[in-house]
Amino acid sequence: MIEFNKVSKKYDGAQFYALKDIDIKIEKGEFVFVVGASGAGKSTFLKLMMREEVASSGNIVVEGVDLNTIKNKDIPQFRRSLGIVFQDFRLIPNMTVYDNVAFAMRVIGTPEKKIRRRVPYVLSLVGLNEKSKSYPRELSGGEQQRVALARALVNNAEIIIADEPTGNVDPQMSYEIVEMLMRLNEAGTTVIMVTHQHSLVRCFDKRVITIKKGEVISDTPAKVGESATAHINAASEITNEYVVPPDEDYSAYVSRSDAPADDADDSQDEGGEN
Amino acid sequence: MGKLNYLTKEGFRNLKVNKLMSVASITVLFSCLMLIGIAFMLLVNIEAFISGVEGENIIMAYVDDAATDIEIKKVGLDLEKIPNVQSVEKINKEEAYRDILSDMDENLKVYLEGLEENPLPDAYRITVRNMSSFDTVVEQVKSVTNIFRVRENSSLAKQLSDLRDSVTTISIVIIVMLLLVSLFIISNTIKVTMFSRRLEISIMKSVGATNSFIRWPFMVEGIVIGVIAGILATGAVWLVSEFALSSLTSSLSIVGASVEVNFIDYALWLALAFVGIGVFTGVFGSATSMRKYLKERKFVELEEE
Ligand SMILES: Nc1ncnc2c1ncn2[C@@H]1O[C@H](COP(=O)(O)OP(=O)(O)OP(=O)(O)O)[C@@H](O)[C@H]1O
Ligand SMILES: [Mg+2]
Repeated sequence: MIEFNKVSKKYDGAQFYALKDIDIKIEKGEFVFVVGASGAGKSTFLKLMMREEVASSGNIVVEGVDLNTIKNKDIPQFRRSLGIVFQDFRLIPNMTVYDNVAFAMRVIGTPEKKIRRRVPYVLSLVGLNEKSKSYPRELSGGEQQRVALARALVNNAEIIIADEPTGNVDPQMSYEIVEMLMRLNEAGTTVIMVTHQHSLVRCFDKRVITIKKGEVISDTPAKVGESATAHINAASEITNEYVVPPDEDYSAYVSRSDAPADDADDSQDEGGEN
Repeated sequence: MGKLNYLTKEGFRNLKVNKLMSVASITVLFSCLMLIGIAFMLLVNIEAFISGVEGENIIMAYVDDAATDIEIKKVGLDLEKIPNVQSVEKINKEEAYRDILSDMDENLKVYLEGLEENPLPDAYRITVRNMSSFDTVVEQVKSVTNIFRVRENSSLAKQLSDLRDSVTTISIVIIVMLLLVSLFIISNTIKVTMFSRRLEISIMKSVGATNSFIRWPFMVEGIVIGVIAGILATGAVWLVSEFALSSLTSSLSIVGASVEVNFIDYALWLALAFVGIGVFTGVFGSATSMRKYLKERKFVELEEE
């Protein structure tokens, strides 16, 4: 569970609060979209959650860990319980795609043998198996974003925090990525995802937190009972946003996106694809 | 174990990936160590030169002609007992006489050969270990029984000992200054390296790497750079002492002192010191300049205004 109690954040030297009096509770296993205009404070919200930044006042508790009083030596351990997709990707420039993803596993001391099975599998989930030997600078923005996503998924973290994981990919890929996160969520993972694409949010019927100028202006709970047609409609809606030919068969996206997401569920049993 | 292996390999890989920075660090460290090494070898050579001159500066003690063989032997033993005496060498009057004769002009030789008896006294040649106590030793030599005359040059001895003291002091000051300047340059180089890699460090932290996990590859890099620079600097100092310093000292030997400084005698210590300094600065320097990037933010309640 993630709990924000009266949390405010003002950056050093800043004039205004980036976040003000945030009271939010996110239960274990929830899927939450965070939306809002640029500069509203969405990334700040996530950075506080992963303790990259500290609150200026109020307190944050994540899975029973108080982020104000956590000891420095416990912070690495805490971060390992999170799978994070950063808005700016944060890939290590002098490591290949493979090593960037593998790094997250090496950090927690995973045996090399296990890494060799798991990494190609996760890369295949995001459709980047061919690029595993490339360096980040040799990838497109969307490809880098998917590497960042793969790194966030590779350790089967209990909480996935994704800052605009679909910001640089085409509508089809956006849809597939959210589908994948949705599947992980169904298997019990808490997912918090920031996005600008309102249409993407609308079609998934999940909880939506809207931030405006540092304040939560709306928090709408998930609607139950989504259907396959809703998915198809959603897919077409997203795609329309990016103006694709009207005769495109959107249902193809939906069925295709289901395939890798299925595998994402059996989180411990890696390597099925290779 | 596998982890350590991986982190060590990472260190080597980083050296290769950041080739330019690695070469720059090695060059900086190498230059500093080489300067220190050359200053050190200069010191050693000058010291050796002064010692060479000092070697000429000995005390001659002439034994009373009336002394018996036993008494002459006793003089030798007494001289050896004086503190700070390095060596006592007996010079027989027969030998001394023969030496003089062989060096002499034929005309004079005829005159000397006319003498029935050897006119020279037995003598002892005494070398002093520590030049600063030269005068004390001279006094003690004078007080030994059966010595009728002592020949010494105490003012030259004093000058040499003063010269040596100031050369040593100046050299040590120069070496220490070079060392400090080197540490400054090296720590700046490391700071620049760390700055250029702060992104990498922050990414590692954000995926939950512990500080030691991040540090280890940097330590390996520091060690490798230190070892390479240390070995190169030893080689460079060797070349300089072989060619430049040896020609300098051989020209000094015209002045009269022979200088024998073998670089090989110092090579091992120099290499160890260089590698030691290199590894220390590499490891310690990167550890300290990394701290800034490893630090976590602290929660400080903001005052409401
Ligand atoms: N490190 C920082 N120092 C000072 N101010 C900051 C810092 N990071 C963010 N801010 C400010 O805090 C506010 C919120 O920024 P934040 O990054 O959370 O916005 P965002 O909602 O993620 O925007 P976007 O959609 O463009 O990513 C902005 O006004 C921004 O200028
Ligand atoms: Mg943001």
